[in-house]
Amino acid sequence: MIAVPFAALVLGFLIVYRLLPPIPSAWAPYVAIAIVAGIDAFAGAGRNWLERRFDEAIFISGFFVNMVLAALLAYVGAQLGVDLYLAVVVALGIRIFNNLGHSRALLVSMRVEARKARAGASAE
Amino acid sequence: MATLVSGSKRWVIPFTFVCLVLGSMLGIQVHTQRLRGATQVVRQTTALIEMLSRSETQAQQQKEEIDQLRARLAEYEKEAASEKGLTRLMNEELRAARIALGTVEVEGPGIELEVADSTMRTSDEAGTQDVYVIHDFDLLQIANELWCAGAEAISLNGQRLITGSGIACSARLIAVNRVTVASPFVFHAVGDKQKLASALNIRDGVLDRLRVLQFPVKLTQKDSIVVPPIAVAPKYQYARPVEKEAGP
Repeated sequence: MIAVPFAALVLGFLIVYRLLPPIPSAWAPYVAIAIVAGIDAFAGAGRNWLERRFDEAIFISGFFVNMVLAALLAYVGAQLGVDLYLAVVVALGIRIFNNLGHSRALLVSMRVEARKARAGASAE
Repeated sequence: MATLVSGSKRWVIPFTFVCLVLGSMLGIQVHTQRLRGATQVVRQTTALIEMLSRSETQAQQQKEEIDQLRARLAEYEKEAASEKGLTRLMNEELRAARIALGTVEVEGPGIELEVADSTMRTSDEAGTQDVYVIHDFDLLQIANELWCAGAEAISLNGQRLITGSGIACSARLIAVNRVTVASPFVFHAVGDKQKLASALNIRDGVLDRLRVLQFPVKLTQKDSIVVPPIAVAPKYQYARPVEKEAGP
């Protein structure tokens, strides 16, 4: 089942890359920052999933709203002459790393638990 | 996997949708970035090539024009020299004026000085190499020392230095008479060769400063130094001589 969203990711990439014209280069930073926000939403979703509190409403709303907010913040920063862009990138980057780190720790501990459980079962 | 989503497949459709959006955004971004990089490089290079070829043809045309004009001038002078008296005097004056203006090749005793960028390199990667390259002000200082020591004609990398010559930094190169030159820099100066050499070698002078930073410096005194003429003689567009009225 995980193959379907993955296929959609690749398909979306290929269709746009092959068929659509590029956007004006002035927009490129905002799209880039929106992508970082999107990746952050994915990292958060992965962690929530592992912690069994994944909620698709939170995920989807977070994905779109954070994307728009991140791009908006970068835009406001550019208008004011403050590098809010950097603030967004740093904040999102830290969050992505945090979530990935927690996910990894969780996965490892889950494996350890499973092995212990199996060992306990075979001992009985 | 199935245990993680507790059997429900509800997540697949929104997840797919989100993935589609993210994928297309990645696509558009990668596409844009790649095109941007490529077109920038191409645009810059073609513009530079065009500029270069245009100025090269221009320079060639001007050189031909100069040669023609000089040939004509030489004819006039030959005619003038054959005449006696006043014209002869005027001709000599003209010769001196032409040396001063730099439109004739001159030859005589003098010095040859070669300086090049230092062999030293900055130790830290972030640091710039600026300290170890020859700058416009180094060359200006050398030229100034030579003039002060009584040099009668100076050239730098084949460019005759005249009253209106500028030595200026132009990007990573140095422009002399608006022609770019690069390291190694070779000065030829006609004058009292010992005076010229000692002026350059003065303690804590310009060459001392360069030698400390391991710039290769080669100064030789020669009995015959040839200094080429200026490629394009200056045109006087604004300056007009003031006509003084004869006194009563």
